[in-house]
Amino acid sequence: MKSIVTSFVVFMAFVVFALNVPVHAQGSGMTDAHIASIKTNCPLALGTLGRIHVNDAPQFINSNQTYFSIGDKLMAHLNSRLTLNKYDASMLVKTASDFNNALSNYRSVYKSYEEMMSQLVRMDCQRAPVTFYDNVAAAREQRTEVHDAVVRLHELLKQYRDDVKTFRAENLEATNG
Amino acid sequence: MDNISGSHDELHVHVPWYQQRLLWLVSGSVAIAFCLVLVAMALYASSGSAQLDISRPGYKSVQDKVDSTSFESFPATGDVNKKAIDDFLELYDKQTKRVNSTDAFSGSALTDAALGIAAP
Repeated sequence: MKSIVTSFVVFMAFVVFALNVPVHAQGSGMTDAHIASIKTNCPLALGTLGRIHVNDAPQFINSNQTYFSIGDKLMAHLNSRLTLNKYDASMLVKTASDFNNALSNYRSVYKSYEEMMSQLVRMDCQRAPVTFYDNVAAAREQRTEVHDAVVRLHELLKQYRDDVKTFRAENLEATNG
Repeated sequence: MDNISGSHDELHVHVPWYQQRLLWLVSGSVAIAFCLVLVAMALYASSGSAQLDISRPGYKSVQDKVDSTSFESFPATGDVNKKAIDDFLELYDKQTKRVNSTDAFSGSALTDAALGIAAP
């Protein structure tokens, strides 16, 4: 009976340790001075994070709407028009499809980032400074992912424009000069 | 007269609470409404609608920053010639200018130094 209890206690200790390790993975190397500094400055940091969070919303809403309209009202319409006129628009269709996939990815990574920021701005940072610091690092990483998604969308916007110019040069400039 | 008092007595027959139809109707309606609200909230959160909802508390100050101008589309039918493609490129450049900034969501805003939580 005693060995069962001991095994249970060891198992529970292992579970608690295993659950705690990832949470403090980054913060474990922090000095006491750093933790004290976070406790002192975090109310100000929370204010800054709140402003960033609120200002991100219209930025995302506007850009998401514009990217969607570019894909739906410009790219798709031109592709359709070229196909109706029996031109080979496969290159443009491929880029437009990549653009739509990149837009889905942008929405997905922004959603994760926004959820993390919502959680972050509600944190009691003075009670849990290490977790707060780790969550800021996670939010920063997710924000970088959102930024990378924006860069990818811009690459595809440029590529589509180049594809249209290539199409014009190959199919129209010789005939319609 | 006897018939009337007899009917009156029948109305006051004691029914246990778990056999009250009205109670089950009301509690059932509340339970169904609660489940539907949970489903609606789950859809609201999982579909990404929450990220597009500027009417949430705390977002009033940025409501006027949402762009409500209409988006001019390119006709999906018509001839394909050099002028049509030039018109498309002109429209395309005009509309893509709206999202010209690639600095959006730059990670620099969340650095330890910017937030004042860097190691001393």
